Amino acid sequence: MSIFESPARSGHQRAVRRLAQPAATIGLVAILLGVPFWLVIVTASKNQAEALNPNLALPSHWQLFQNFAEVLNQGRMVPAFFGSLLILVPSVAGVLILGSMAAWVFGRRAGKRVAAGYALAISGIVLPPAVVMIVLLLKEIGLEGTPLGMIGVYMGMYLSTVIFFVTGFVRTIPRELEEAARVDGASPARVFFSVILPLLGPTLATATILISLFIWNDVFYALFVIGGRLDTLPLNLYQVASAGLYLNNWQSIFAYIILMTLPLLVVFMVMQRRIISGITSGAVK
Amino acid sequence: MGTSQVRVRSSTREADAPSTGRRRRQDHPATFLVPALVVLVVFYFVPTVLNFVYAFTDWSSFKSAINYVGADNFISLFSNGTLLSDLRTTLIFAILVAIFQNLFGLVLALLLEKDTRVNRAARVAFFIPVMMSALAVGYIFQALLKPDGALNAILGFVSGHAVSTAWLGSTTWTIVVVSLIQAWKWMGLAMLIYLAGLKTISEDVLEAARLDGANWWETLRRIRLPLLAPAVTFNVATALLGSMNGFDTVQASTKGGPGGTTELLNIFIFRTFGQGLFAQATTMSLALFVMVALLAFPVIRVLRRREEVL
Amino acid sequence: MKNSWKSAAVLAAAAALVLSGCSNPDSGSSTSGSTPWAAENTSLKGVNLTIWGGNGASAQMEGVVSGFEKLTGATVKIVAIPDPYEQNIQTKVATGDKPDLAFWQPTASMLTAINAKTNLQSLDGAPWVSKYSGNFKDITGLLDNTRYAALITTPAVEGVYYNKDLFTKAGITTTPKNWNEFIADARILKAQGITPFFEMGGDRWATQWWVQVQLADAAKAGLWDKVNNNTEKFTDPTILNAIKTYQSLINEGLFNADIKTATLADQAAAMLNDKAAMVLQVNNFFNTMQATATTDVLNSKVGFFPISPTGNVGTFIPDQTNALVAFKTGDAKREAAARQLLSYMLGGGYADFVNAVHTVSLETTVPTPSSVPDALTAVAASLADSVGSMQALAVANPDLYINLADMIQGTKTPEQVAQTTQDQFAQLAKAQGVKGF
Repeated sequence: MSIFESPARSGHQRAVRRLAQPAATIGLVAILLGVPFWLVIVTASKNQAEALNPNLALPSHWQLFQNFAEVLNQGRMVPAFFGSLLILVPSVAGVLILGSMAAWVFGRRAGKRVAAGYALAISGIVLPPAVVMIVLLLKEIGLEGTPLGMIGVYMGMYLSTVIFFVTGFVRTIPRELEEAARVDGASPARVFFSVILPLLGPTLATATILISLFIWNDVFYALFVIGGRLDTLPLNLYQVASAGLYLNNWQSIFAYIILMTLPLLVVFMVMQRRIISGITSGAVK
Repeated sequence: MGTSQVRVRSSTREADAPSTGRRRRQDHPATFLVPALVVLVVFYFVPTVLNFVYAFTDWSSFKSAINYVGADNFISLFSNGTLLSDLRTTLIFAILVAIFQNLFGLVLALLLEKDTRVNRAARVAFFIPVMMSALAVGYIFQALLKPDGALNAILGFVSGHAVSTAWLGSTTWTIVVVSLIQAWKWMGLAMLIYLAGLKTISEDVLEAARLDGANWWETLRRIRLPLLAPAVTFNVATALLGSMNGFDTVQASTKGGPGGTTELLNIFIFRTFGQGLFAQATTMSLALFVMVALLAFPVIRVLRRREEVL
Repeated sequence: MKNSWKSAAVLAAAAALVLSGCSNPDSGSSTSGSTPWAAENTSLKGVNLTIWGGNGASAQMEGVVSGFEKLTGATVKIVAIPDPYEQNIQTKVATGDKPDLAFWQPTASMLTAINAKTNLQSLDGAPWVSKYSGNFKDITGLLDNTRYAALITTPAVEGVYYNKDLFTKAGITTTPKNWNEFIADARILKAQGITPFFEMGGDRWATQWWVQVQLADAAKAGLWDKVNNNTEKFTDPTILNAIKTYQSLINEGLFNADIKTATLADQAAAMLNDKAAMVLQVNNFFNTMQATATTDVLNSKVGFFPISPTGNVGTFIPDQTNALVAFKTGDAKREAAARQLLSYMLGGGYADFVNAVHTVSLETTVPTPSSVPDALTAVAASLADSVGSMQALAVANPDLYINLADMIQGTKTPEQVAQTTQDQFAQLAKAQGVKGF
């Protein structure tokens, strides 16, 4: 039941109430999101001279797709896309599996040592790791500048977030389900993979989106760990942004940003049904 | 019958009865912790601890040798007023973001909870800022909030006379503006978490309350908000802690200005590191870590305890 | 609980013990001994070089790079390093990640900041040094009498760019010959309703020029040497009064109304659109105008004169785009190839470079292209009797511009600016091991 559904006296009042919510929604979207997004799209459609001072005015001549083509080329976006993907997929998979395994134990077991372990495990959300030390460490173990090293770094950074997030949800899964499987003779691994993991589906989908957007947009750690050796989307943004000799090329920057955000948008649109609609059916009954 | 007496089905108790202790431990073997801990130790703990060790040296970019200097860095750091004022700025920023982000996120979640097409589209739209890089957000708001930028143009249009407020140029209020920008970027995420939380609330409970005559506001206050406790924990904790470590959006929009009034500690650390004073920068991140830890654990304890009250 | 703490403590102690005998992780292996300078066209097939640069570096270097690749068969990649440029490079070098060549500010303080002695190749004995005209080979690129940076474009000069049309309108027929005339002219302009000065308080970095040009005479008399051995401080009258004068000029209303938020782009637009008469800036400002106006327009509208307390002495400040440094990477072949690229750039490839980038030539045998605006030629000419800036002469580079920008915003007094700058300077000098700190 939402505020907009309380019984109303007349048909007219009911109609107003029914329209109030979508109207409010659309209004909010227009103000809070429409203006900034308009700025981005309009600037990305201008030529450099007009885009110098980004504003809401329409371009004299729409060249959005022309700018897209230019940045795809100049920023080597296709190799960068695959570079980003190469890092993203294993990092997310690794962090979800390892993280939920650990979260399961933290969520079910008690005791001082487990609590201490939990505190340590989530300490990663308190402070991001020092970049210089990480690179020096990677050098020591021979992973400097490699995709595997970058994956390790991201996993180290985001495991704590996943553990923190999933532990809470693990506790909402009824123990009876685990008991039932155990009674049937399943090993802990079996219980985890066939009972717990599926039920964590929506949670893991949310975590996927969360971690993906951090990794997809990360430029700071990528710069120092694999900068110059592997093309990723955020790193190549700088190649594009610095192409203008003395002036900013906002039209290229914003065009690049639009293209770079699209894959995440697609992932989200696909995942959001699972999260929102999926949670109501099956997660907790 | 008061709605506060309705109990939730899912079990949140964790204490194991001692007599079944051994069997329970085998059911959730510690070996499942090992892979995660290995990754954490190698890629997180070791670099972090090493980093803090360097705080006690004179490591810099100017020379190759590194010597132990004891607590020198800490002493000179605390006698320098910049550290304390930046710590204060960072704390204010973090609290403001936690409030704004959660408020907006909750309001959005409540507004968009029904699965209508408009709502689904709006949810995606509000999530777009979350997906954009912080750099992009900084650029956009710089352009929008300039004295001759879009916001002033709109305000001028609405009010009828020219508006030329420098939104990013006030030494008192810009910290609030950048908190709002940060909240704008992340409110879609808070919204998502709250939506997920709202959806897990069993319909039976709400039906029972409705039958008792509770209206929308009462069900919100007495049933749904308390049951959203895990979501609140996550959102408040990550907003608070994430902003304590905040850097990107503020660096991109104000670079710590005007007059240093939005200089978060991380911006100062980065500047010091960039001057070649590596040991001093490390000392500052140690100070930041201690402060965040002092803040984090009590906050998380309080929030987790709220969850368990039910 | 106790176990985890104990192991953490043990780990930390072990690390500390290891480190006490440790040296800086970024100390590269040095290829010492004399550095032979190969001929420009020596074949370099199979050699890959990387050049790090900031904004605009790839546009600046692409002609040279393709010429060099064709001549020698080497492959050269230009990598853009995001802002803040120097900080990111220092951090990368701290992690042991080095390029073959990089754009770097050739002042002694910045060469110290990158630990030139350990990280950079010495360029002494290079065949192109004798090609420099005037005093170019002596004024910058050197640290402790060793050459580490190759100057490729004229060092920037802090001076006044003025709008010729507005000067004529106000009846000012000759450019000021000293500071007092400079301020008098500003007051004349103000009386006629023209904004005399335009400052970019929003982007901040140009605020320091106002203090530095006032110190030109003192600098010639050895001010920075005294600051370098702590016998003179930023809080002493010489520098403090320069800061106070800047503040009083702002308070007098001689600057643009939006000084607190103005940007570099605003500054360039103001000069071109007749909104302000004078801007105290460096070459970068002029380059920004070049991107939106033609040489003819610039020649007719914008002029340049340096200013100092008692005359027209410019204060030079070499910036990051003016020079390249070559790193010690431990790979002798690449190190030699890097030096070879410098030889080519300042040798056979220099004429093409100068023409492609439209810049003033540093060499006696290569003429400056006619496409270079008059103002830039005037800037280059002023280098002959110019004096070094804080960046060029002081051992360390405190954030004077940020502190001055804070003063413009109203969060610092001139005394506080001086004190904060002095504290930063002392901290950096101490970290370098400079005597007296």
